[in-house]
Amino acid sequence: MVETLYSVAHTLVVLLLGLLGPLVPGSGAYGPFLAVWLSYLVVGALVFAVSLVNVLVFIWWERKLLGRFMDRRGAMHVGYAGLLQNLADGLKLFRKQPFSPREADDLGYYFGPTAYLVISIAILGFLPISFGFSGGAVPLSLLVALALFSFAPLFIFIASWSSNNKYSLIGGMRTAAQLVAYEIPLLLSVVAVVALTGSFDLNVIVGDQAANGWFAVPLILGLIIFFIAMLAEVERIPFDLPEAEAELVEGWSTEYGGMLFAFTMLGDYVRALIGSYLIVLLFLGGWSMPWGLSSFPLSGIVFFQLKTYAVFAIFIWVRASLPRVRTDQLLQIGWKRMLPLAMVNIIWALALVVWGYPVIHWPAL
Amino acid sequence: MSEMWINMGPQHPMTHGLWNLRVKVDGELIVDADPEIGYLHRGIEKICEYRRYNEVVTLMDRTCYVAGIAWEQLYIMAAEEALNINPPPRAEYVRVLSQELQRLSSHVMWYAAYVQDIGLMTPFLYGMRDRDLILDLFQSYTGARMTYEFMRVGGVRNDVPVGFTDRCRKVMDWFDQRLPEYEKVCDNSTIFLERTKGIGVLKAADCVNDGVTGPMLRAAGVDRDLRRDRPYSVYPELDFDVAVYDAPDCYGRYRVRMEEMKQSVRIVRQVLDWLDRNPGPVLAEKVPRFVGTPSPPPGKEIYVERRGYPKGRGFSAMEEPHGEAMAYIINEGAEHPYRAKLRSPVFVNIAASKDYLVGYRVSDIPAIMGSVDICVGESDR
Repeated sequence: MVETLYSVAHTLVVLLLGLLGPLVPGSGAYGPFLAVWLSYLVVGALVFAVSLVNVLVFIWWERKLLGRFMDRRGAMHVGYAGLLQNLADGLKLFRKQPFSPREADDLGYYFGPTAYLVISIAILGFLPISFGFSGGAVPLSLLVALALFSFAPLFIFIASWSSNNKYSLIGGMRTAAQLVAYEIPLLLSVVAVVALTGSFDLNVIVGDQAANGWFAVPLILGLIIFFIAMLAEVERIPFDLPEAEAELVEGWSTEYGGMLFAFTMLGDYVRALIGSYLIVLLFLGGWSMPWGLSSFPLSGIVFFQLKTYAVFAIFIWVRASLPRVRTDQLLQIGWKRMLPLAMVNIIWALALVVWGYPVIHWPAL
Repeated sequence: MSEMWINMGPQHPMTHGLWNLRVKVDGELIVDADPEIGYLHRGIEKICEYRRYNEVVTLMDRTCYVAGIAWEQLYIMAAEEALNINPPPRAEYVRVLSQELQRLSSHVMWYAAYVQDIGLMTPFLYGMRDRDLILDLFQSYTGARMTYEFMRVGGVRNDVPVGFTDRCRKVMDWFDQRLPEYEKVCDNSTIFLERTKGIGVLKAADCVNDGVTGPMLRAAGVDRDLRRDRPYSVYPELDFDVAVYDAPDCYGRYRVRMEEMKQSVRIVRQVLDWLDRNPGPVLAEKVPRFVGTPSPPPGKEIYVERRGYPKGRGFSAMEEPHGEAMAYIINEGAEHPYRAKLRSPVFVNIAASKDYLVGYRVSDIPAIMGSVDICVGESDR
C-alpha cells in the first residue's frame, strides 16, 4: 500500500519482461532479479525527472519573483515568459570545456560538486510528494532524509579544500562553522514533530496532520525555527556565508566553471527544493488539504506542489529583503536564540502529548 | 588555520574598480592590511601638460567615473585662477547645479553599491533606477550621461535647455519620496544595523592624522565642509546644512551621505529658482583664443611660451562627493599648463585603510571598504 510508486514500476517492468523474456532463450532464471532492479531503476529515473523539472521551475520562479520584488521583470526572452531560460543556460554550461586549476587536487575537485549534487538528489528518493509517491518508502524516511541532508557540507569542504584557492578555503571553513550553528536547532525542532506523531515515517506524519490539523498551528514556534535553520541549511541569504559574493568572489565554488559549476548551482536549488518539501511535509500538512479538497485523483500532488512553491516564495521574499549576516552573528543566532527556543518548543510539544494532543479535529481525509 | 595573505583584487567584487587590497587574515580575523593601487594610472597630470586648457576637461571626466563633472569644475576653477578669467554668475549657478546633481547621483550610486556589498539586493536596483533620472537630466543639458565635457574656461558650454528647471524639479520631488524609503530599508533592518554599527571605526583624531576627508571625516564628528569653510563658486549665497554625525563607523558614514543627499536636493531647488529669475550669458566674453583651439598633432609642438600671454598660478579646493579634492595649475605663459597637480581624496582614504580594517573580520571588508566610497579612477589619476 505504501510503496505505490514502486508497485506501479514493478507491474510495468514485469509486463515488459514477460513480453521480451521469451525472445531471449534461457533468460527465465534471471527474471525476478531483473524485475526488482529494473523497477528500482524506473523509480529512480522518475524521481530524478520530477526533481529536475521542479528545480528548473524553481529557478524560473525565483528569477521572476525576485525580479518583481526589485522592480524589474526577470527572464523574459527564451520561451514563454522566460520559462526556457534555464534550459538555455544549462545547455550553455553543458557545452563548456571541463577543466581543473593546475594546483588543484583533481580527485577532490571533481568529486566534491558531483557528490554534492548526487547526495542532494538522493534525498528526494525518500520524500513522498503524494501518498506513497516516493522512491523508497522506508519507515525512517525522515531520519534518512535529514542524515543525508547534513552530508553536503562535507562535500563542500572537500571541494573547497581541493580547489586550492584561499576564497574557496574560507568558504569551506564557513560551511563547517555554519553547520555547527544551525544543525542542532533544526533537528530539535524536528524532534517536536516526531514527539507528537511518534513516527519517523513521513507518510505517517502527513497522515497525522490530515487527521489532527497541520502542525503549523500547535508548533508555530517550531515552524519558525525550522524555517530559519533551513535558510542556513540551504545557504540562502541571509545565511549564504559560504558563497558571500561580496568578499569571497563565489565562495567555495570560486574555481568551478562549466558543468561543475552547473552541478553546484543545481545542488543549491535541489537543496532549496528539499528544504521547501520538508517544511511542507512536517508543518504544512504535506499533500493533505482541509475540507476534503485533496480527495480527488492527483489533487494531492497538485496541492503539495502549490504549497512547496508558496514556501519557496517566502525563501525568495527573505532573499529580496534581508542583508547577509556575519559568521559570528550566525553562531550567536544559532546558539543564543534558536537553541533555547527549540528547547521551549520541545517542552511545549511534550506538554501537548501529556495533555492528550489531538485537540483539533479537522475532517479526516 | 595559520595566518595567510589574501589578495583581494585587482579583480574582486569588493574593490569597485581596479585595485588590490592585500589582507593578512588569521582565520576570519584581519591582522594586517596593505592597499595597492596604481592599476588604473593613466598619467592624467602629465597629459595635461600637452593639452590646451579646454581640452583638459575631457581628461577630467575620465578621472572619476561617478563624479566627472565635479573634477571638471575643480580643474576649471584652478585654470581660471591661473588665467585670471572670471565666469559670469549664471555659469556659476549652472556649475553648482551640476555639482549637486552629481553629488546626488554619486551618493545614490554609493548607496546602491553599498547595500549590494552587505548582501541586500533589492535597494541596489532601486538606487540604480533613481540614478538614471539624474543621468537623464545630465543628458538633457550636457548631451552625455557620464563623460560630460561641459565646463569651459570662463563658464560652461551651454545654458540649460527650455523647460529644464521644471523637469529637474519633478525629479527632485521624486527624490523627496525616495530618500526616506532608502533610509527605511536600511534603518528598519536589524541585520543592516548589526553589520554597520561599530564596524570600521576611524576616530576623528585618526582621520585628521591620516588626512581622511569627506563623509568619513564628518561621520567622525568633525564639522568640516569646504563648501562652507572655504567657499567657492556661489555656495555662500545658498542655504544648506553640513551633515555631521557622531559615530565614526560605517553606520555614521551612511547617515552622513543620506543627509547630504537631502541637502543636495535643497540646494538644487534654490539654484533652479535662481536660474528661473536670472537669464544671462553662461560664458565669459574675454577668453584668450588659444584656450579653445585644438592642440597640434603630437610631435609638432610640445610646449612653447609666447610673449604676452597671461602668467599665473591657480589653486582650487572643493568638496567632491568623496571628500576634499584639490588642484594646482602653473601657467608659465604658454598655451598649455606648465604643470597640473590633482589631490584625490580617495587616494588618501584608501591609504589609511589599514587603520580601519585591522581587528575586524573578512566578512566586514565589503562593509568597511564600501563605506569609504572608492573611485579608483580618481585615486590613480
